[in-house]
Amino acid sequence: MINNIVAIVRRELQSYFASPFAYAIAGIFWLLSGFFFVAVLLGPEGIITSVASRDQLGIVDPPIDVPYQFQSVFLNLLGSLSLFLLPMLSMGLYADERKRGTLELLATSPITNWAVAVGKLLGVIVFFFTMTLPLMGFVAIAFSASTPPAAYTVLLAGLAGLMLMAASVLAMGMFISSLTDSTILAAILTFALMLLLWVADLLVNSIGGPVGDTISHLSLIKHYNNLIQGKLDTSGLLVFISYIALGVFLTAQSIDALRHQRS
Amino acid sequence: MRVVGDRPLEPALLPLSFASCMIEVDHLSKTYGTTAAIQDVTFSVEPGEILGFLGPNGAGKTTTMRILTGYLPASSGTARVAGFDVHEHSMEVRRHIGYLPETPPLYTDMTVEGFLYFVARLKGVAVGDRATQVSSALHRCNLEEKRTVLIRKLSKGFRQRVGLAQAIVHDPPVIILDEPTVGLDPRQIIDVRNLIKSLAGDHTIILSTHILPEVSMTCNRVAIINQGRVVATNSPDQLMEQLIGGSGYELEIEGPFAVAEAALRELPEVKVVEAIARPNLDEGYCLLRVITEGSTDLGRQISAKVVGRGLGLYEMRRVKVSLEDVFLELTTEEHALDDAMTELEKTAGVDAAGDPIGEPAETVTRDPLGDSAAPLSSAPREDSDPSSSDAA
Repeated sequence: MINNIVAIVRRELQSYFASPFAYAIAGIFWLLSGFFFVAVLLGPEGIITSVASRDQLGIVDPPIDVPYQFQSVFLNLLGSLSLFLLPMLSMGLYADERKRGTLELLATSPITNWAVAVGKLLGVIVFFFTMTLPLMGFVAIAFSASTPPAAYTVLLAGLAGLMLMAASVLAMGMFISSLTDSTILAAILTFALMLLLWVADLLVNSIGGPVGDTISHLSLIKHYNNLIQGKLDTSGLLVFISYIALGVFLTAQSIDALRHQRS
Repeated sequence: MRVVGDRPLEPALLPLSFASCMIEVDHLSKTYGTTAAIQDVTFSVEPGEILGFLGPNGAGKTTTMRILTGYLPASSGTARVAGFDVHEHSMEVRRHIGYLPETPPLYTDMTVEGFLYFVARLKGVAVGDRATQVSSALHRCNLEEKRTVLIRKLSKGFRQRVGLAQAIVHDPPVIILDEPTVGLDPRQIIDVRNLIKSLAGDHTIILSTHILPEVSMTCNRVAIINQGRVVATNSPDQLMEQLIGGSGYELEIEGPFAVAEAALRELPEVKVVEAIARPNLDEGYCLLRVITEGSTDLGRQISAKVVGRGLGLYEMRRVKVSLEDVFLELTTEEHALDDAMTELEKTAGVDAAGDPIGEPAETVTRDPLGDSAAPLSSAPREDSDPSSSDAA
């Protein structure tokens, strides 16, 4: 079983690293996030400038933890950026298999649907992780330049938060991809769903009451912001893990259903 | 339909002991919505055999194969591969089969070798065996010079071969090939056929095709499937004998055709005597084809009859009926029988309903279209005619 999952992960990674499309996405991601990095840290409105002007004015209360503040703003921007890019990574996961007819190979190999889904999800998460690594390198360098050097645990927690959020989006994107032969349609639908979940708490502010409360718990941005600020609440973790598990489960079910209705 | 379906089936299946079969398909049916893709399909394949699945497009070949591979669930009936039920022990079955679907399932962004390694890993080939299995599959399918080429860059023929390599890379006991030679050039077709033949013995193979020569060249046994039903199962040779029940002769004689025909008709075994048209035939000569029943060779009697009537016998040639004819005859005969059956059922239904009710019903359903349509259109004309005459 592990062997099978590893086989799928390796194949997915291979196809990402061999595809110019994936490099284009990574390029855009690096360009924009590099810009954010510079703007947030060194720009005219950036953190260093604003802290310096505060010092000049002699404001010391409340004290500002610059590295920490920087990371939470930067990761927040990175999260929003990922929202646009992740559907493009997940769109082909199953839609391409359906289009190429390779789903028939997977479905007649000794591997269960859910193992395929887990393998594919792991593959795309690993690819996204490698995409974020250089950025985390930037942050680490910035952290080490601060005096006193900031704790790397904060950085790791932030990275974990980003990966969890990404995994949730990718899992749902994978499910949507399994519903259609069209990669474009999968990307659009995933983006729409994620946008909805991203701002769920803003949307339901007007509803209020227990229903609004419940829906606001589904919001990705709320839990994401908690995580990247270092607030490790179990309910947030649970929401992300539920999204991932639901995505894998629904994908396996939809592939099974596809075989039954195939004419 | 049943008459033809049962006649060839029984002699083929009876001698087989079911326990020893590699593939057993028992009364398998599959319906999509209300249309039946296959109905009551029963056949079995012994270890090491090549079974050809022959039928026109849309006959249900692919559906049957997909059920065997566990890709599609059957509506009713059972199928067992290597002793495992395809539905209940799907994973075991998948481990025992190699499958080449109609369109080869290829990851076009991988190299040939990379893809085969992936499939080997997926099919559970042990780490130590992968290199040998992959290189043996590459060798068998003649793909060695393309091992590092991206599949995207391969031609159709090579892609088909990669598809074949994919089906045999884990050395499965059962190989299922859906139209393995479709879209290949003649030379590649010969290569693929030789490859399939070389796989027989160690492997049990089912291949589907709508190309007839392929079956007689590669297969030990043929199952002919038409409109979702297996209409015949037998070896290509026996199938021909069964169908024609004898052999045929082509004769060139000097003399009138009618005399020769009359002479040959005297033999009770002669089934058909027909003239063959040929443009540049000499005056007074004619060509004719004789088809006989039974297994005895009637060459001696035929020549004796012809010569006994004082006709000149210039050429006498034994002809074997090709499988193409068998196929055509089977499917067309099936068709004709089908029509006859429905006709019979129709008349039976009318009879059962009783003539007094049946006949008015006929006039009610049929006539409005033909007869009452005419009065309707002619009625205004008749009205307008008198009115115009009145006005005049």
